[in-house]
Amino acid sequence: MSSVANASDAVVLGRRQLYMLPTRHGLMFALVLLVLLLASINYANGLAYGLTFLLASLAVVSMLHTHRNLHKLTVAPGACHPVFAGEAAQFTVCLTNESGAPRYGLVIEQERGPARKGAPWRLRRRSAVARLDLAAGETACVALAVPAERRGWLAAPAFLVSTEFPLGLLYSWSRRIAFDQRGLVYPRPAPPTPLRAAAHEGAQPEPHARTGAGDDFAGLREYHAGDSPRHIHWKAVARGQGWYTKQFGGGAQTLLWLDWDTLEGFDTEARLAVLARWVLDAERAGARYGLKLPGTRIAPASGERHQHQCLAALALFGLRT
Amino acid sequence: MTTAVSLTPTPAADRGALLALEIAGLVAVAPHALELPFWVVLVFAASCLWRYVIETGRGTRPGRILRYTLAALVLAAVFREYHSLLGRDPGLALLIALLGLKLLELETRRDYMLSVFLFYLVTLGSLLYAQTLPISAYALVSVFASTAALIRLNQPTGLARRQTLGLAATLLAQAVPLMLVLYVFFPRIQGALWAMPPGGGAARTGMPESMAPGNVRNLTESAEIAFRATFEDAPPPMRDLYWRALALYVTDGQEWFRGRWSRSGAESYTALSEPLRYEIVLEPTFKHWLPALDLPTEAPRGAQFQSGFTLTHAEPVRDRRRYTLSSHTRYRTAGPTAGERAGALQLPTNLSPRVRALASEWRARGDPAAIVQAGLDYFHSENFVYTLSPPLLGADPVDEFLFETRRGFCEHYAAAYATLMRAAGVPARVVLGYQGGEYNAAGNYFIVRQYDAHAWTDVWLPERGWVRVDPTAAVAPERVELGLEAVRRLQARGAALGTLPAADALRAIEPGWAESLWFRSQLYWDLANITWYRWVADFDKERQARLFARLGLDRLPGSGPLIAILSGAAGLILVYGGLLLWRERPRLDPTQALYLKFCRRLARAGVARTPHEGPLDFAGRSARRRPDLRARIDIITRRYVRLRYGPAPEKAELGLFRHEVRSFRPSRKRA
Repeated sequence: MSSVANASDAVVLGRRQLYMLPTRHGLMFALVLLVLLLASINYANGLAYGLTFLLASLAVVSMLHTHRNLHKLTVAPGACHPVFAGEAAQFTVCLTNESGAPRYGLVIEQERGPARKGAPWRLRRRSAVARLDLAAGETACVALAVPAERRGWLAAPAFLVSTEFPLGLLYSWSRRIAFDQRGLVYPRPAPPTPLRAAAHEGAQPEPHARTGAGDDFAGLREYHAGDSPRHIHWKAVARGQGWYTKQFGGGAQTLLWLDWDTLEGFDTEARLAVLARWVLDAERAGARYGLKLPGTRIAPASGERHQHQCLAALALFGLRT
Repeated sequence: MTTAVSLTPTPAADRGALLALEIAGLVAVAPHALELPFWVVLVFAASCLWRYVIETGRGTRPGRILRYTLAALVLAAVFREYHSLLGRDPGLALLIALLGLKLLELETRRDYMLSVFLFYLVTLGSLLYAQTLPISAYALVSVFASTAALIRLNQPTGLARRQTLGLAATLLAQAVPLMLVLYVFFPRIQGALWAMPPGGGAARTGMPESMAPGNVRNLTESAEIAFRATFEDAPPPMRDLYWRALALYVTDGQEWFRGRWSRSGAESYTALSEPLRYEIVLEPTFKHWLPALDLPTEAPRGAQFQSGFTLTHAEPVRDRRRYTLSSHTRYRTAGPTAGERAGALQLPTNLSPRVRALASEWRARGDPAAIVQAGLDYFHSENFVYTLSPPLLGADPVDEFLFETRRGFCEHYAAAYATLMRAAGVPARVVLGYQGGEYNAAGNYFIVRQYDAHAWTDVWLPERGWVRVDPTAAVAPERVELGLEAVRRLQARGAALGTLPAADALRAIEPGWAESLWFRSQLYWDLANITWYRWVADFDKERQARLFARLGLDRLPGSGPLIAILSGAAGLILVYGGLLLWRERPRLDPTQALYLKFCRRLARAGVARTPHEGPLDFAGRSARRRPDLRARIDIITRRYVRLRYGPAPEKAELGLFRHEVRSFRPSRKRA
């Protein structure tokens, strides 16, 4: 794979993706070697020559070990869970050592600041994020944190893998890697805001309202993806009887319409912030809620999946995706 | 499944790192206890201990004032010891003591790393004092310890202690072939880059440049090796092993000097025996003279003849020196020049009347050969005793020795005899050198030690030229026949020298079996050392040139060695790289390897497995993406899960799985 700079899939670090230079310590070592060589020449001492050459050879051999420590390492993108603006998005990247030899002292270095195109062999303003060792066949994942400032899609940061193993004399690093990974950033929720009156379009309980909130246990139904884990009937799962969701009733289940139009007078971002707050509140209250945005209408429902659908619509409102 | 992910990207210098560093430091510094003042090593060891106590939280860090005071004290102490801060000894003493003090304030990884690098320098320092086999082996251990410390500093996690040591050993072992290429082909430069302190060998025991009563005898306490000699053919008998170092002409009655009057080239002589070719490996003497068997024919490279068939080297011999000579043990020399003759007849002005009277009594006999014999008879018949502990002599040692004490060592006999001969009109000179040597049958060479130092005389006879006369042999033939060690043993048994039949003397000094075993092991050990010197430690410009000539490299243009280094190094690195990467190939169990093959094929078909995806999840996802492959994917995945996670599978099962995977060839795009 030649274009490492932007990859959507796992990257295997080959020879062409790896660079190497001496570290500061390596330069210091070279200076010491020079002193040793001068002493050997001056004292015309065969063994001193031998020692000097042994150490020089050691440095050369360590070069191969440093290179090998990164060679054929697989780097793959992992998941990135949505966050609210103002939080930090965590982009997971996973390193896999598919070789038979363990790898030590692998350092993930992340590019700071906005992603920009640049030479593939360097990162602007990088900072080391994590250090890890991988036994043969192992995988380890590291989260790269990026502050999420605005709603919408957030691009994964560029990063590289580097190592100074084994002697710290040489620094080997991979080409800049930027996966086509995106993280969704929800709008930052506004402070608690009362629901606008006009939003109560049909505030009366629906006759066929499905229960789900309240305090009293009302029965079991089959599990649907998105149901709150707190309501899963774990005992049944443990007995191997299948997945069921406990249903509660008793509380009057309300139906809410969270409507863009009720927030006239606010600018777009403020409206989105308030709507995000309402979505969170409604979900927490166990209500069934729907979302109306210009050009979008999400039918009333509840549950985590529904909440995500609403917040995603808010996050991407007005943006080209 | 996931290993330690540390959020601190740079390894911390923890207690383990400190311990590794201190052990490496102590190993590197320890051999210097033999050569440098002991307090230097103590300062280092004490600092190690102090720092370790600090690390365990039981001690306090020294403040800046204390540290600076200690450093100043170290400087002052080194200066007091050597009156200088430059040069090998003061430099190393300073380096070691200050490295110790630096331990007290180590903080950053950089400090740690620099300390290890300097330990390498300290290790090199130990090789400047001696290049023996054990010292070299120890230096290798020290390099190993420092390298292990370096790995420990850079990789505190993941590697167990045994693995760290193993990795250090692996790295060093892999470095050795490359080192050999560099060692053999790196062009050697002759001559020092900066002036060496002249006092380097001041403390060494060795042949003095002049002879006074007592200063040859002092050498008999030392068993240090002076040189080794290997004869190409059969060696001459012990009594012919007279190794000349210095010919002394000038005397003031007390002491004998070489004098400055003669710096002639080679004197000529007629050989009366076959030439003996031999190689001498001379230990550093820090003097100019080179020992040669009576009498050498030509000077080796870099050396020249002085009067009296002695050889001197242009520069003091600071390193072990190897040279080849040929000598004739029977010879007739030409007559001395007028100047030399005058010098060989010079007498101290205050020659005592008793000596003069004795000499003139012999002079009356006229024939120089008779005079020479008379002198020897005098020592033999009068009551002279050869002893290793002669009484101290006063202002006129020759007179006192001849007429009063009559107990003396070789230098007393040589000085007295030469003085008597000169007084009797026979030109004579004192020769200082070594006599005898220990034959090492294992390596077919002679070991000549400091206690073999000897003094004898040359007298000039008209028809024969210079003739070697050893007055000591007239008194104690055992000294010449059996060597000084035998004399020491005989005297310890109370035997009177010069009276025993040779067979009795030999029986008297025969060692017990344990002792002889010890001697033999010593000889083998010396052989190991000399072999080490010959092939490794003394590989210099000359040997390199000889090796190049043998390899045909000397015919290449000036960059021949460079080309050899580069091609050798490049070849080795290629081999290493290949080996390392080959070793890297995954060694998975067949089930997993087959499954990965299946994943690769699916990836080519458009569904790649993400690293955090389990096989069942992946099967579900890929089946959704490629419903046309669902059945095959399900079968393969189920077999894989059963093989990998189920109870012990049957062999046939793996075969089925292999067949399934191999025949799984999905089309690139959905049909």
